[in-house]
Amino acid sequence: MTGIVREIVMLWEKHLLTMRTIEHLQMFSTALTISVIIGVSVGIFIYTRPRTASPVLNFLNILETIPDLALLVILLPLLRLGTGPTIAASVIYSILPIARNTYTGLKGVDDQYIYVAEAIGLSPRDILLKVRIPMSLPLIAGGIRIALVFIMGVVTLGGLVAAGGLGTVLQNGIQLYEKDVILLAGLWTGILAVILDLGAGRIEKKLYERYGTWQPHR
Amino acid sequence: MPTQRLFERIESIELQQISKKYGSRFAVESLDLSIEGGELLILIGPSGSGKTTTLRMINRMIEPDAGNILINGQNIIQLDPVSLRRNIGYVIQNIGLFPHMTIGENVGLVPKLEGWDEIRTTERVRHLLDFVSLPPDRFIKRYPRQLSGGQQQRVGLARALAMNPPLLLMDEPFGALDPILRKQLQKEFLEIKKEIGRTIVFITHDIEEAFRLGDRIAIMDNARLVQVGAPEDLIFEPVNDLVADIVDTDRKFKHMDTLNVKDLMTPLDAKYILDGSMDARNAVEIMKDRDTEIGIVFENGILIGKVEMVNLLKHEESHPFLRDIAKPMKVFAPRDSVATALSEMKKSGEYMAMVMNGDTVGGMLVSDEVLLKLI
Repeated sequence: MTGIVREIVMLWEKHLLTMRTIEHLQMFSTALTISVIIGVSVGIFIYTRPRTASPVLNFLNILETIPDLALLVILLPLLRLGTGPTIAASVIYSILPIARNTYTGLKGVDDQYIYVAEAIGLSPRDILLKVRIPMSLPLIAGGIRIALVFIMGVVTLGGLVAAGGLGTVLQNGIQLYEKDVILLAGLWTGILAVILDLGAGRIEKKLYERYGTWQPHR
Repeated sequence: MPTQRLFERIESIELQQISKKYGSRFAVESLDLSIEGGELLILIGPSGSGKTTTLRMINRMIEPDAGNILINGQNIIQLDPVSLRRNIGYVIQNIGLFPHMTIGENVGLVPKLEGWDEIRTTERVRHLLDFVSLPPDRFIKRYPRQLSGGQQQRVGLARALAMNPPLLLMDEPFGALDPILRKQLQKEFLEIKKEIGRTIVFITHDIEEAFRLGDRIAIMDNARLVQVGAPEDLIFEPVNDLVADIVDTDRKFKHMDTLNVKDLMTPLDAKYILDGSMDARNAVEIMKDRDTEIGIVFENGILIGKVEMVNLLKHEESHPFLRDIAKPMKVFAPRDSVATALSEMKKSGEYMAMVMNGDTVGGMLVSDEVLLKLI
């Protein structure tokens, strides 16, 4: 038993896994922050200008169909090796789920609340800020959670383009055919993804409890 | 962004030749109606007769196709709809409290948007909750889903009064409540009405409610205004059969002499029964869960009296037992005449009484339901 633990610690230290994990999470959080800002903004934009909704969502859908490896390679000449293409690719994939959920959430708020809001004298801006956005938060969080999974995948793939992070460790393992490293780094990446997703799931659930709509009984 | 205070008091509201068409069908056709400042005007009529459309045109939720609406002589088309609506309180049947905001945030929403500071808003909210008989300390931080239907409706009224509007529009505010709760809220609303002295336009389809609350009643049918006047005008000089039909109370009472209490009583629903040894705080929780605002108190099978949610909330802190605060009720025997029972109830201002056969419960006599059964 202790033999295995010692082996893991040795591998961990040899491949600088602590540093790689930090790099990984840094890329992840940068990509997620940018995605949320752009995704929510795009969602609100297409909601306030309904004519743009269908073309914008279609365009994002097309981006979504590009295989992630191809997307990374396309971005290489523009952004060079390193974290740039990885973050950019993560963001490109994540805008769609966040923007689409934001848009659906804003549109889907029950008409009775909008009607009352208007009748008691809320301006269209107040209605967006005080009623539509808060009531869409659970759905927006759902979109972010999907994006989170996408980003985890793309950031790991970033090892191929020298982005650092846990992908690099995996990549080294594959190059040198070191099964132990592949196994350890693979498992660890998986565990991280599951933990982050669980965390996001909890936040989403809290938002549902707090902002989810309910129907008055009767 | 603060909006303009458009009017301190309503002198008059004039609806002049108002029409609104949906497709080829008139929702409202050439309607002329003048509403006097300070009165409570009831709009009543069959569903689809245009009452809601008329009401919604007053706060510009719907724009008329033709005609003008003047408030204090000013055409409302010249007013900014958002400021107009902030000067008019609005209450609807399904209330529409925002589920993501606390009671305090719901009531204080418009004052906040008007740029009131935290302290002034909170003070106003507390005052209003008190006004609608919801102790602020208990309710201000709760969410709408934690309240019963009747409590939500009170919050809806408090929200409508937030900016102290001189005009109140109410679209069947008590329509979704059960008959006993409706009576209770009507009784309280009458007191509120006396206190605030503002102009109110009130939609209902319940003629009893109309007679009880209205200073004048406007009867609508088929997109047109049929007759408007004080209740006695409508009873003694109905312009057509429809009006006579709606207000004809004689017919309802025709057979009453021959009927006994047992013919018209309602079975006592178990949800109203509370035990005398229970304390007030417990009773409030139970009544909230059962969505009732009134309870009939028994102890060891003996009727003690009734308790009302509003009073319980006031007594809650001192934890009294229900047997000590229950108010005595009128009790009738199943063989008593309905006419006598009703007139006794009317005299003492009560809307419900117990029917007891010796020590066993016969049922309840609720004045509203008696009338409904007679129709």
